[in-house]
Amino acid sequence: MRQARKSEAVSGKLTHNLFMMALLVMLGFVISERTASGELTARANHDHIKIDFFYHGSTVSVSGFSDAGADLIIKIASPEGHEVLKEKGKVAGFLWMNVATLKLENVPNLYSIHSTRKLEEILDQTELDKYVIGYPALGRHAEMGPVKDDEDKARWFSEFIKYKENSRLYDTSTGRIELKNMADGHQPYYIMTEWPYQAPPGDYVVTVYAVKDGKVVETAESKVLVEQVGIVNTLSNMAKKNGALYGIISIISALGAGFGVGLIFRKGGGAH
Amino acid sequence: MYLYLPVALTSINILIPVGLGLAVGLLSGLFGVGGGFLMTPLLIMFGIPSTVAAATDSNQIVAASTSGTYAHWRVGNVDFKMGLYLLIGGFAGGLLGVQAIKVLKATGNADFAIKMTYVLLLGTVGTYMFIESLSSMRKKKVNDTVAPEKESGFSRLLKKLPLQTRFEKSGVTHSLLLPVLFGGFVGVLGAIMGVGGGFLMVPIMVYILRMPMHVVVGTSLFQILFNCIEVTFLQAYTNHNVDFVLAVLLLLGSTVGAQVGAVFGRRLKGEQLKVILAGIVLAVTVKIIFDLTLSPSLLLAQAGGH
Repeated sequence: MRQARKSEAVSGKLTHNLFMMALLVMLGFVISERTASGELTARANHDHIKIDFFYHGSTVSVSGFSDAGADLIIKIASPEGHEVLKEKGKVAGFLWMNVATLKLENVPNLYSIHSTRKLEEILDQTELDKYVIGYPALGRHAEMGPVKDDEDKARWFSEFIKYKENSRLYDTSTGRIELKNMADGHQPYYIMTEWPYQAPPGDYVVTVYAVKDGKVVETAESKVLVEQVGIVNTLSNMAKKNGALYGIISIISALGAGFGVGLIFRKGGGAH
Repeated sequence: MYLYLPVALTSINILIPVGLGLAVGLLSGLFGVGGGFLMTPLLIMFGIPSTVAAATDSNQIVAASTSGTYAHWRVGNVDFKMGLYLLIGGFAGGLLGVQAIKVLKATGNADFAIKMTYVLLLGTVGTYMFIESLSSMRKKKVNDTVAPEKESGFSRLLKKLPLQTRFEKSGVTHSLLLPVLFGGFVGVLGAIMGVGGGFLMVPIMVYILRMPMHVVVGTSLFQILFNCIEVTFLQAYTNHNVDFVLAVLLLLGSTVGAQVGAVFGRRLKGEQLKVILAGIVLAVTVKIIFDLTLSPSLLLAQAGGH
Protein backbone atom coordinates (compact mmCIF):
# COMPACT_ATOMS: atom_id res chain seq x y z
CA MET A 1 0.00 0.00 0.00
CA ARG A 2 2.76 2.39 1.04
CA GLN A 3 4.67 1.21 -1.99
CA ALA A 4 1.74 1.99 -4.27
CA ARG A 5 1.33 5.46 -2.76
CA LYS A 6 5.02 6.18 -3.25
CA SER A 7 4.90 5.14 -6.88
CA GLU A 8 1.80 7.28 -7.38
CA ALA A 9 3.63 10.25 -5.88
CA VAL A 10 6.64 9.64 -8.10
CA SER A 11 4.54 9.37 -11.23
CA GLY A 12 2.63 12.51 -10.21
CA LYS A 13 5.89 14.43 -9.82
CA LEU A 14 7.06 13.11 -13.17
CA THR A 15 3.89 14.24 -14.88
CA HIS A 16 4.27 17.66 -13.27
CA ASN A 17 7.88 17.96 -14.42
CA LEU A 18 7.03 16.84 -17.91
CA PHE A 19 4.22 19.39 -18.03
CA MET A 20 6.57 22.19 -16.89
CA MET A 21 9.18 21.15 -19.44
CA ALA A 22 6.61 21.11 -22.23
CA LEU A 23 5.43 24.57 -21.15
CA LEU A 24 8.97 25.89 -21.17
CA VAL A 25 9.66 24.41 -24.60
CA MET A 26 6.47 25.96 -25.96
CA LEU A 27 7.26 29.32 -24.37
CA GLY A 28 10.78 29.18 -25.77
CA PHE A 29 9.38 28.36 -29.18
CA VAL A 30 7.02 31.30 -29.05
CA ILE A 31 9.74 33.73 -27.90
CA SER A 32 12.34 32.61 -30.41
CA GLU A 33 10.03 32.73 -33.40
CA ARG A 34 8.06 35.81 -32.33
CA THR A 35 4.79 34.48 -33.63
CA ALA A 36 1.30 34.54 -32.25
CA SER A 37 0.70 30.82 -32.04
CA GLY A 38 3.97 29.25 -33.13
CA GLU A 39 2.81 28.04 -36.54
CA LEU A 40 4.53 30.71 -38.65
CA THR A 41 8.28 31.16 -38.67
CA ALA A 42 10.55 33.52 -40.63
CA ARG A 43 14.26 33.63 -41.13
CA ALA A 44 16.38 35.88 -43.35
CA ASN A 45 19.41 33.85 -44.38
CA HIS A 46 21.67 36.84 -44.96
CA ASP A 47 20.80 39.06 -42.02
CA HIS A 48 24.06 40.99 -41.75
CA ILE A 49 25.09 42.63 -45.00
CA LYS A 50 28.55 44.17 -44.90
CA ILE A 51 29.26 47.02 -47.31
CA ASP A 52 32.92 46.86 -48.20
CA PHE A 53 34.91 48.45 -51.02
CA PHE A 54 33.71 45.95 -53.62
CA TYR A 55 30.06 45.79 -52.52
CA HIS A 56 27.60 45.70 -55.41
CA GLY A 57 24.38 44.68 -53.72
CA SER A 58 23.55 41.30 -52.27
CA THR A 59 20.79 38.73 -52.05
CA VAL A 60 18.54 37.98 -49.12
CA SER A 61 16.42 34.89 -48.93
CA VAL A 62 13.53 34.57 -46.52
CA SER A 63 12.34 31.15 -45.49
CA GLY A 64 10.29 29.44 -42.79
CA PHE A 65 7.17 27.39 -42.15
CA SER A 66 3.58 28.43 -42.31
CA ASP A 67 0.26 26.82 -41.54
CA ALA A 68 -1.04 24.67 -44.38
CA GLY A 69 -3.37 26.49 -46.74
CA ALA A 70 -2.39 30.00 -45.64
CA ASP A 71 -1.49 32.68 -48.16
CA LEU A 72 1.71 34.55 -47.41
CA ILE A 73 2.80 38.16 -47.74
CA ILE A 74 6.42 39.12 -47.13
CA LYS A 75 7.25 42.76 -46.45
CA ILE A 76 10.84 43.99 -46.32
CA ALA A 77 11.06 47.62 -45.20
CA SER A 78 13.24 50.20 -43.53
CA PRO A 79 11.80 52.18 -40.60
CA GLU A 80 9.37 54.91 -41.68
CA GLY A 81 10.83 58.35 -42.19
CA HIS A 82 10.42 61.49 -44.26
CA GLU A 83 11.51 62.38 -47.78
CA VAL A 84 11.95 65.76 -49.43
CA LEU A 85 11.83 65.80 -53.24
CA LYS A 86 11.66 68.38 -55.99
CA GLU A 87 8.64 68.46 -58.26
CA LYS A 88 9.19 69.16 -61.94
CA GLY A 89 6.54 71.05 -63.82
CA LYS A 90 6.01 73.10 -66.97
CA VAL A 91 6.83 76.78 -66.84
CA ALA A 92 5.55 79.14 -69.55
CA GLY A 93 3.90 76.14 -71.20
CA PHE A 94 7.00 74.38 -72.54
CA LEU A 95 9.94 74.53 -70.13
CA TRP A 96 10.44 71.77 -67.54
CA MET A 97 11.79 73.07 -64.27
CA ASN A 98 11.75 72.40 -60.55
CA VAL A 99 8.56 74.15 -59.55
CA ALA A 100 7.89 72.99 -55.98
CA THR A 101 9.09 70.88 -53.09
CA LEU A 102 7.20 67.74 -52.11
CA LYS A 103 7.44 66.54 -48.51
CA LEU A 104 6.41 63.02 -47.49
CA GLU A 105 6.03 61.63 -43.96
CA ASN A 106 5.62 58.01 -42.76
CA VAL A 107 7.29 56.51 -45.80
CA PRO A 108 10.04 53.90 -45.63
CA ASN A 109 13.15 54.42 -47.72
CA LEU A 110 13.04 50.77 -48.81
CA TYR A 111 9.76 48.92 -49.29
CA SER A 112 9.42 45.54 -50.89
CA ILE A 113 6.25 43.41 -50.93
CA HIS A 114 6.02 39.82 -52.14
CA SER A 115 2.85 37.74 -51.96
CA THR A 116 1.64 34.29 -53.01
CA ARG A 117 -1.43 35.80 -54.72
CA LYS A 118 -2.57 39.31 -55.68
CA LEU A 119 -3.00 41.38 -52.52
CA GLU A 120 -6.55 42.48 -53.29
CA GLU A 121 -7.58 38.85 -53.80
CA ILE A 122 -6.53 37.78 -50.32
CA LEU A 123 -7.13 40.84 -48.12
CA ASP A 124 -9.64 43.67 -48.08
CA GLN A 125 -8.67 47.34 -47.86
CA THR A 126 -9.19 47.60 -44.08
CA GLU A 127 -6.82 44.74 -43.44
CA LEU A 128 -4.24 46.00 -45.98
CA ASP A 129 -4.37 49.47 -44.41
CA LYS A 130 -4.02 48.06 -40.89
CA TYR A 131 -0.68 46.43 -41.76
CA VAL A 132 0.34 48.98 -44.45
CA ILE A 133 0.66 46.31 -47.13
CA GLY A 134 0.93 47.37 -50.79
CA TYR A 135 1.38 50.72 -52.57
CA PRO A 136 -2.25 51.89 -52.23
CA ALA A 137 -2.20 51.22 -48.47
CA LEU A 138 1.17 52.97 -48.16
CA GLY A 139 -0.27 55.90 -50.11
CA ARG A 140 -3.16 56.19 -47.63
CA HIS A 141 -0.76 55.81 -44.71
CA ALA A 142 1.71 58.46 -45.96
CA GLU A 143 1.29 62.15 -45.25
CA MET A 144 2.16 64.39 -48.16
CA GLY A 145 2.30 68.09 -48.77
CA PRO A 146 1.68 70.43 -50.35
CA VAL A 147 -1.12 68.73 -52.36
CA LYS A 148 -4.34 70.35 -53.50
CA ASP A 149 -6.76 67.43 -53.11
CA ASP A 150 -6.92 63.62 -53.03
CA GLU A 151 -6.48 63.43 -56.80
CA ASP A 152 -3.33 65.55 -56.62
CA LYS A 153 -2.06 63.41 -53.75
CA ALA A 154 -2.66 60.20 -55.73
CA ARG A 155 -0.86 61.67 -58.76
CA TRP A 156 2.24 62.68 -56.79
CA PHE A 157 2.26 59.44 -54.80
CA SER A 158 2.35 57.45 -58.02
CA GLU A 159 5.25 59.68 -59.19
CA PHE A 160 6.93 58.93 -55.86
CA ILE A 161 6.55 55.17 -56.49
CA LYS A 162 8.04 55.60 -59.97
CA TYR A 163 10.98 57.52 -58.49
CA LYS A 164 11.54 54.84 -55.83
CA GLU A 165 11.21 51.92 -58.25
CA ASN A 166 13.68 53.64 -60.55
CA SER A 167 16.21 53.72 -57.67
CA ARG A 168 15.38 50.01 -57.07
CA LEU A 169 14.27 50.79 -53.51
CA TYR A 170 10.58 49.91 -53.98
CA ASP A 171 9.46 46.63 -55.46
CA THR A 172 6.45 44.31 -55.51
CA SER A 173 5.94 40.82 -56.84
CA THR A 174 3.20 38.20 -56.94
CA GLY A 175 3.73 34.45 -57.07
CA ARG A 176 7.46 34.46 -56.50
CA ILE A 177 7.23 32.83 -53.05
CA GLU A 178 8.00 29.12 -53.46
CA LEU A 179 5.85 26.74 -51.44
CA LYS A 180 7.48 23.35 -50.95
CA ASN A 181 6.15 19.95 -49.99
CA MET A 182 4.42 19.78 -46.64
CA ALA A 183 6.48 18.53 -43.70
CA ASP A 184 4.68 17.44 -40.48
CA GLY A 185 1.62 19.50 -41.33
CA HIS A 186 3.75 22.63 -41.86
CA GLN A 187 4.19 24.35 -45.19
CA PRO A 188 7.80 25.34 -45.93
CA TYR A 189 8.16 28.55 -47.98
CA TYR A 190 11.12 30.28 -49.56
CA ILE A 191 11.87 33.44 -51.54
CA MET A 192 15.13 34.79 -52.89
CA THR A 193 15.27 38.58 -53.27
CA GLU A 194 17.88 40.88 -54.78
CA TRP A 195 19.19 43.34 -52.21
CA PRO A 196 19.82 46.64 -54.06
CA TYR A 197 23.17 48.37 -53.55
CA GLN A 198 21.18 51.60 -53.44
CA ALA A 199 19.80 50.64 -50.01
CA PRO A 200 21.79 52.66 -47.46
CA PRO A 201 23.21 51.21 -44.22
CA GLY A 202 20.61 50.66 -41.50
CA ASP A 203 18.21 48.19 -39.88
CA TYR A 204 15.59 46.58 -42.08
CA VAL A 205 12.65 44.49 -40.90
CA VAL A 206 11.32 41.43 -42.71
CA THR A 207 7.70 40.73 -41.74
CA VAL A 208 5.83 37.64 -42.91
CA TYR A 209 2.04 37.69 -42.74
CA ALA A 210 -0.02 34.48 -42.88
CA VAL A 211 -3.47 35.13 -44.34
CA LYS A 212 -6.58 32.96 -44.03
CA ASP A 213 -10.16 33.83 -44.95
CA GLY A 214 -9.40 37.47 -45.64
CA LYS A 215 -7.63 38.06 -42.32
CA VAL A 216 -4.02 38.23 -41.21
CA VAL A 217 -3.90 35.33 -38.75
CA GLU A 218 -0.24 35.35 -37.83
CA THR A 219 2.89 37.43 -38.29
CA ALA A 220 6.57 36.59 -37.88
CA GLU A 221 9.55 38.91 -38.02
CA SER A 222 13.20 38.79 -38.85
CA LYS A 223 15.84 41.51 -39.25
CA VAL A 224 18.42 42.47 -41.84
CA LEU A 225 21.26 44.71 -40.72
CA VAL A 226 23.21 46.59 -43.38
CA GLU A 227 26.49 48.03 -42.23
CA GLN A 228 29.53 49.74 -43.74
CA VAL A 229 32.85 48.14 -42.85
CA GLY A 230 36.57 48.75 -43.43
CA ILE A 231 37.74 51.65 -45.64
CA VAL A 232 34.16 52.47 -46.67
CA ASN A 233 33.20 52.94 -43.01
CA THR A 234 36.35 54.95 -42.21
CA LEU A 235 35.84 57.35 -45.14
CA SER A 236 32.13 57.73 -44.56
CA ASN A 237 32.63 58.51 -40.86
CA MET A 238 35.40 60.97 -41.60
CA ALA A 239 33.31 62.79 -44.22
CA LYS A 240 30.50 63.20 -41.70
CA LYS A 241 32.39 63.87 -38.48
CA ASN A 242 35.60 65.53 -39.60
CA GLY A 243 34.65 67.49 -42.70
CA ALA A 244 37.54 69.98 -42.52
CA LEU A 245 40.27 67.33 -42.39
CA TYR A 246 38.45 65.24 -45.00
CA GLY A 247 38.24 68.28 -47.30
CA ILE A 248 41.93 69.10 -46.86
CA ILE A 249 42.96 65.49 -47.55
CA SER A 250 40.75 65.45 -50.67
CA ILE A 251 42.30 68.69 -51.94
CA ILE A 252 45.89 67.66 -51.22
CA SER A 253 45.34 64.28 -52.90
CA ALA A 254 43.92 66.03 -55.97
CA LEU A 255 46.79 68.54 -56.11
CA GLY A 256 49.31 65.71 -55.66
CA ALA A 257 47.70 63.58 -58.35
CA GLY A 258 47.52 66.49 -60.83
CA PHE A 259 51.12 67.48 -60.21
CA GLY A 260 52.31 63.86 -60.23
CA VAL A 261 50.70 63.12 -63.59
CA GLY A 262 52.19 66.38 -64.91
CA LEU A 263 55.68 65.21 -63.88
CA ILE A 264 55.17 61.78 -65.43
CA PHE A 265 54.13 63.37 -68.72
CA ARG A 266 57.12 65.71 -68.70
CA LYS A 267 59.46 62.74 -68.32
CA GLY A 268 57.55 60.66 -70.81
CA GLY A 269 56.61 63.22 -73.44
CA GLY A 270 59.34 65.85 -73.18
CA ALA A 271 58.65 69.60 -73.17
CA HIS A 272 58.08 71.46 -76.39
CA MET B 1 34.79 45.96 -61.79
CA TYR B 2 32.52 47.73 -59.34
CA LEU B 3 33.53 49.92 -56.42
CA TYR B 4 31.32 51.19 -53.60
CA LEU B 5 31.25 54.96 -53.07
CA PRO B 6 31.09 55.70 -49.33
CA VAL B 7 29.50 59.17 -49.53
CA ALA B 8 27.34 58.74 -52.65
CA LEU B 9 26.15 55.44 -51.07
CA THR B 10 26.04 53.66 -54.37
CA SER B 11 28.16 51.30 -56.43
CA ILE B 12 29.67 52.15 -59.81
CA ASN B 13 31.57 50.38 -62.57
CA ILE B 14 35.04 51.98 -62.37
CA LEU B 15 35.30 52.30 -66.16
CA ILE B 16 32.51 54.92 -66.11
CA PRO B 17 34.19 57.58 -63.92
CA VAL B 18 37.64 56.92 -65.38
CA GLY B 19 36.27 57.27 -68.93
CA LEU B 20 34.25 60.39 -68.09
CA GLY B 21 37.31 61.88 -66.39
CA LEU B 22 39.45 61.24 -69.45
CA ALA B 23 36.96 62.89 -71.82
CA VAL B 24 36.25 65.94 -69.65
CA GLY B 25 39.95 66.31 -68.72
CA LEU B 26 40.78 66.43 -72.43
CA LEU B 27 38.36 69.35 -72.91
CA SER B 28 39.84 71.01 -69.85
CA GLY B 29 43.43 70.83 -71.14
CA LEU B 30 42.37 71.94 -74.61
CA PHE B 31 40.09 74.85 -73.80
CA GLY B 32 40.70 75.85 -70.20
CA VAL B 33 37.22 74.97 -68.97
CA GLY B 34 36.46 72.93 -65.85
CA GLY B 35 33.83 70.87 -67.61
CA GLY B 36 31.52 70.71 -64.60
CA PHE B 37 28.72 71.57 -66.93
CA LEU B 38 29.13 68.22 -68.67
CA MET B 39 30.42 66.12 -65.79
CA THR B 40 27.77 66.85 -63.15
CA PRO B 41 24.73 65.85 -65.25
CA LEU B 42 26.58 62.76 -66.54
CA LEU B 43 27.33 61.62 -63.00
CA ILE B 44 23.69 62.15 -62.02
CA MET B 45 22.69 60.06 -65.04
CA PHE B 46 24.85 57.22 -63.67
CA GLY B 47 23.03 57.27 -60.33
CA ILE B 48 25.17 59.63 -58.24
CA PRO B 49 23.03 61.96 -56.06
CA SER B 50 23.09 65.48 -57.54
CA THR B 51 24.63 67.16 -54.50
CA VAL B 52 27.45 64.60 -54.32
CA ALA B 53 27.99 64.83 -58.10
CA ALA B 54 28.56 68.61 -58.03
CA ALA B 55 30.77 68.59 -54.91
CA THR B 56 32.90 65.65 -56.04
CA ASP B 57 33.33 67.14 -59.50
CA SER B 58 34.90 70.26 -57.99
CA ASN B 59 37.37 68.01 -56.14
CA GLN B 60 38.21 66.25 -59.40
CA ILE B 61 38.66 69.60 -61.22
CA VAL B 62 41.35 70.51 -58.65
CA ALA B 63 43.38 67.57 -59.97
CA ALA B 64 42.60 68.12 -63.67
CA SER B 65 43.35 71.85 -63.53
CA THR B 66 46.59 71.27 -61.56
CA SER B 67 47.66 68.85 -64.26
CA GLY B 68 46.55 71.25 -67.02
CA THR B 69 48.02 74.40 -65.42
CA TYR B 70 51.32 72.59 -64.95
CA ALA B 71 51.38 71.51 -68.60
CA HIS B 72 50.60 75.03 -69.84
CA TRP B 73 52.98 76.69 -67.37
CA ARG B 74 55.91 74.61 -68.66
CA VAL B 75 55.50 76.24 -72.07
CA GLY B 76 54.95 79.70 -70.58
CA ASN B 77 51.22 79.94 -71.19
CA VAL B 78 49.98 81.03 -67.76
CA ASP B 79 49.55 84.74 -66.97
CA PHE B 80 49.73 84.59 -63.17
CA LYS B 81 49.19 88.33 -62.73
CA MET B 82 45.99 88.30 -64.77
CA GLY B 83 44.89 85.10 -63.07
CA LEU B 84 45.35 86.66 -59.63
CA TYR B 85 43.13 89.67 -60.41
CA LEU B 86 40.49 87.43 -61.98
CA LEU B 87 40.59 85.35 -58.80
CA ILE B 88 40.12 88.39 -56.57
CA GLY B 89 37.08 89.36 -58.62
CA GLY B 90 35.82 85.79 -58.76
CA PHE B 91 36.07 85.38 -55.00
CA ALA B 92 34.13 88.60 -54.33
CA GLY B 93 31.62 87.67 -57.05
CA GLY B 94 31.08 84.26 -55.49
CA LEU B 95 30.20 85.81 -52.14
CA LEU B 96 27.88 88.27 -53.85
CA GLY B 97 26.29 85.46 -55.87
CA VAL B 98 25.45 83.46 -52.74
CA GLN B 99 23.63 86.53 -51.37
CA ALA B 100 21.93 87.07 -54.73
CA ILE B 101 20.56 83.51 -54.63
CA LYS B 102 18.88 84.23 -51.28
CA VAL B 103 17.23 87.37 -52.68
CA LEU B 104 16.20 85.61 -55.93
CA LYS B 105 14.77 82.62 -54.06
CA ALA B 106 12.65 84.97 -51.98
CA THR B 107 11.13 86.47 -55.12
CA GLY B 108 9.79 83.11 -56.33
CA ASN B 109 10.18 81.87 -59.88
CA ALA B 110 13.87 82.84 -60.09
CA ASP B 111 15.00 79.51 -61.54
CA PHE B 112 13.28 80.37 -64.79
CA ALA B 113 14.88 83.82 -65.17
CA ILE B 114 18.34 82.54 -64.28
CA LYS B 115 18.23 79.59 -66.67
CA MET B 116 16.91 81.72 -69.53
CA THR B 117 19.61 84.37 -68.98
CA TYR B 118 22.28 81.70 -68.97
CA VAL B 119 21.01 80.00 -72.12
CA LEU B 120 20.80 83.33 -73.96
CA LEU B 121 24.27 84.33 -72.77
CA LEU B 122 25.85 81.02 -73.79
CA GLY B 123 24.03 81.03 -77.13
CA THR B 124 25.12 84.58 -77.97
CA VAL B 125 28.73 84.03 -76.89
CA GLY B 126 28.92 80.72 -78.78
CA THR B 127 27.47 82.16 -81.99
CA TYR B 128 29.69 85.26 -81.87
CA MET B 129 32.82 83.17 -81.26
CA PHE B 130 31.92 80.77 -84.04
CA ILE B 131 31.36 83.49 -86.66
CA GLU B 132 34.35 85.58 -85.55
CA SER B 133 36.86 82.73 -85.53
CA LEU B 134 35.62 81.34 -88.87
CA SER B 135 35.92 84.73 -90.54
CA SER B 136 39.37 85.38 -89.12
CA MET B 137 40.48 81.92 -90.33
CA ARG B 138 39.25 82.88 -93.84
CA LYS B 139 40.98 86.26 -93.71
CA LYS B 140 44.26 84.58 -92.89
CA LYS B 141 43.92 82.30 -95.87
CA VAL B 142 43.37 85.20 -98.26
CA ASN B 143 45.99 87.50 -96.82
CA ASP B 144 48.47 85.93 -94.47
CA THR B 145 48.87 89.10 -92.45
CA VAL B 146 46.27 90.24 -90.00
CA ALA B 147 44.91 93.67 -90.73
CA PRO B 148 45.28 96.01 -87.75
CA GLU B 149 41.94 96.01 -85.99
CA LYS B 150 40.01 99.22 -85.76
CA GLU B 151 39.78 100.50 -82.25
CA SER B 152 36.17 100.34 -81.20
CA GLY B 153 34.50 102.82 -78.86
CA PHE B 154 34.35 100.08 -76.25
CA SER B 155 38.10 99.51 -76.24
CA ARG B 156 38.77 103.27 -76.16
CA LEU B 157 36.52 103.41 -73.10
CA LEU B 158 38.47 100.57 -71.48
CA LYS B 159 41.72 102.47 -72.03
CA LYS B 160 40.33 105.45 -70.13
CA LEU B 161 39.77 103.45 -66.94
CA PRO B 162 42.18 104.17 -64.07
CA LEU B 163 44.93 101.82 -62.80
CA GLN B 164 46.21 100.86 -66.27
CA THR B 165 48.86 98.18 -66.02
CA ARG B 166 50.86 95.95 -68.36
CA PHE B 167 50.24 92.20 -68.36
CA GLU B 168 53.54 90.97 -69.81
CA LYS B 169 52.64 87.35 -70.43
CA SER B 170 49.48 88.19 -72.32
CA GLY B 171 51.05 91.22 -74.02
CA VAL B 172 48.11 93.48 -73.16
CA THR B 173 47.60 96.68 -71.13
CA HIS B 174 44.41 97.02 -69.11
CA SER B 175 43.03 98.67 -66.03
CA LEU B 176 43.34 96.40 -62.98
CA LEU B 177 39.62 96.93 -62.49
CA LEU B 178 38.82 95.02 -65.67
CA PRO B 179 39.83 91.47 -64.63
CA VAL B 180 38.42 92.11 -61.16
CA LEU B 181 35.06 93.22 -62.58
CA PHE B 182 34.75 90.42 -65.12
CA GLY B 183 36.04 87.84 -62.66
CA GLY B 184 33.34 89.08 -60.32
CA PHE B 185 30.65 88.89 -63.01
CA VAL B 186 31.50 85.26 -63.81
CA GLY B 187 31.75 84.55 -60.06
CA VAL B 188 28.22 85.84 -59.45
CA LEU B 189 26.82 83.80 -62.35
CA GLY B 190 28.80 80.73 -61.30
CA ALA B 191 27.45 80.88 -57.77
CA ILE B 192 23.87 81.31 -59.00
CA MET B 193 24.06 78.63 -61.68
CA GLY B 194 26.26 76.30 -59.65
CA VAL B 195 28.90 76.07 -62.37
CA GLY B 196 32.51 77.16 -62.64
CA GLY B 197 31.85 79.54 -65.52
CA GLY B 198 34.80 78.57 -67.73
CA PHE B 199 32.55 78.71 -70.80
CA LEU B 200 32.05 82.44 -70.15
CA MET B 201 35.47 83.26 -68.72
CA VAL B 202 37.38 82.00 -71.77
CA PRO B 203 35.46 84.17 -74.30
CA ILE B 204 35.79 87.20 -71.97
CA MET B 205 39.57 86.76 -71.87
CA VAL B 206 39.72 86.32 -75.63
CA TYR B 207 37.40 89.10 -76.79
CA ILE B 208 37.38 91.69 -74.04
CA LEU B 209 40.80 91.27 -72.44
CA ARG B 210 42.27 90.48 -75.90
CA MET B 211 44.61 87.81 -74.58
CA PRO B 212 46.18 85.25 -76.97
CA MET B 213 44.16 81.99 -77.03
CA HIS B 214 46.95 79.75 -75.71
CA VAL B 215 47.58 82.02 -72.70
CA VAL B 216 43.84 82.19 -72.12
CA VAL B 217 43.63 78.40 -71.71
CA GLY B 218 46.52 78.22 -69.21
CA THR B 219 45.37 81.26 -67.22
CA SER B 220 41.77 80.05 -67.10
CA LEU B 221 42.91 76.70 -65.70
CA PHE B 222 45.01 78.46 -63.06
CA GLN B 223 42.00 80.47 -61.99
CA ILE B 224 39.69 77.43 -62.00
CA LEU B 225 42.17 75.51 -59.82
CA PHE B 226 41.87 78.01 -56.98
CA ASN B 227 38.11 78.37 -57.31
CA CYS B 228 37.66 74.61 -57.07
CA ILE B 229 39.95 74.29 -54.04
CA GLU B 230 37.66 76.76 -52.24
CA VAL B 231 34.48 75.00 -53.38
CA THR B 232 35.79 71.53 -52.48
CA PHE B 233 36.70 72.65 -48.98
CA LEU B 234 33.35 74.36 -48.36
CA GLN B 235 31.44 71.36 -49.74
CA ALA B 236 33.39 68.90 -47.58
CA TYR B 237 33.21 71.08 -44.48
CA THR B 238 29.61 72.29 -44.56
CA ASN B 239 27.68 69.80 -46.72
CA HIS B 240 29.76 66.58 -46.36
CA ASN B 241 29.11 65.86 -50.03
CA VAL B 242 32.56 65.11 -51.45
CA ASP B 243 33.03 61.43 -52.32
CA PHE B 244 36.75 60.75 -52.09
CA VAL B 245 36.61 57.39 -53.89
CA LEU B 246 34.62 58.81 -56.79
CA ALA B 247 36.96 61.83 -57.00
CA VAL B 248 40.00 59.52 -57.21
CA LEU B 249 38.39 57.46 -60.00
CA LEU B 250 37.52 60.63 -61.93
CA LEU B 251 40.94 62.20 -61.53
CA LEU B 252 42.67 59.03 -62.73
CA GLY B 253 41.17 59.87 -66.11
CA SER B 254 41.02 63.66 -65.98
CA THR B 255 44.67 64.34 -65.01
CA VAL B 256 45.83 62.29 -67.99
CA GLY B 257 43.16 63.82 -70.23
CA ALA B 258 44.28 67.35 -69.29
CA GLN B 259 47.88 66.56 -70.29
CA VAL B 260 46.83 65.07 -73.60
CA GLY B 261 44.56 68.06 -74.20
CA ALA B 262 47.37 70.53 -73.49
CA VAL B 263 49.76 68.74 -75.86
CA PHE B 264 47.10 68.49 -78.55
CA GLY B 265 46.13 72.15 -78.09
CA ARG B 266 49.68 73.29 -78.79
CA ARG B 267 49.45 71.73 -82.25
CA LEU B 268 46.34 73.74 -83.07
CA LYS B 269 46.21 77.41 -84.02
CA GLY B 270 44.37 79.86 -81.76
CA GLU B 271 41.60 80.27 -84.36
CA GLN B 272 41.12 76.51 -84.66
CA LEU B 273 40.84 76.19 -80.88
CA LYS B 274 38.31 79.02 -80.80
CA VAL B 275 36.13 77.54 -83.48
CA ILE B 276 36.02 74.13 -81.78
CA LEU B 277 35.27 75.73 -78.41
CA ALA B 278 32.51 77.80 -80.00
CA GLY B 279 31.06 74.57 -81.38
CA ILE B 280 31.12 73.00 -77.91
CA VAL B 281 29.53 76.07 -76.29
CA LEU B 282 26.74 75.94 -78.88
CA ALA B 283 26.30 72.19 -78.33
CA VAL B 284 26.00 72.77 -74.57
CA THR B 285 23.41 75.49 -75.23
CA VAL B 286 21.37 73.12 -77.40
CA LYS B 287 21.66 70.41 -74.72
CA ILE B 288 20.30 72.77 -72.03
CA ILE B 289 17.42 73.72 -74.32
CA PHE B 290 16.64 70.02 -74.85
CA ASP B 291 16.82 69.34 -71.10
CA LEU B 292 14.40 72.17 -70.50
CA THR B 293 11.87 71.27 -73.16
CA LEU B 294 11.79 67.45 -73.31
CA SER B 295 9.37 65.76 -70.93
CA PRO B 296 11.33 64.14 -68.09
CA SER B 297 10.72 60.43 -67.39
CA LEU B 298 10.52 61.13 -63.67
CA LEU B 299 8.68 64.14 -62.29
CA LEU B 300 10.39 63.92 -58.91
CA ALA B 301 14.06 64.43 -58.19
CA GLN B 302 16.24 64.46 -55.15
CA ALA B 303 16.15 67.84 -53.42
CA GLY B 304 19.31 69.81 -52.79
CA GLY B 305 20.78 69.64 -56.30
CA HIS B 306 21.17 72.53 -58.72
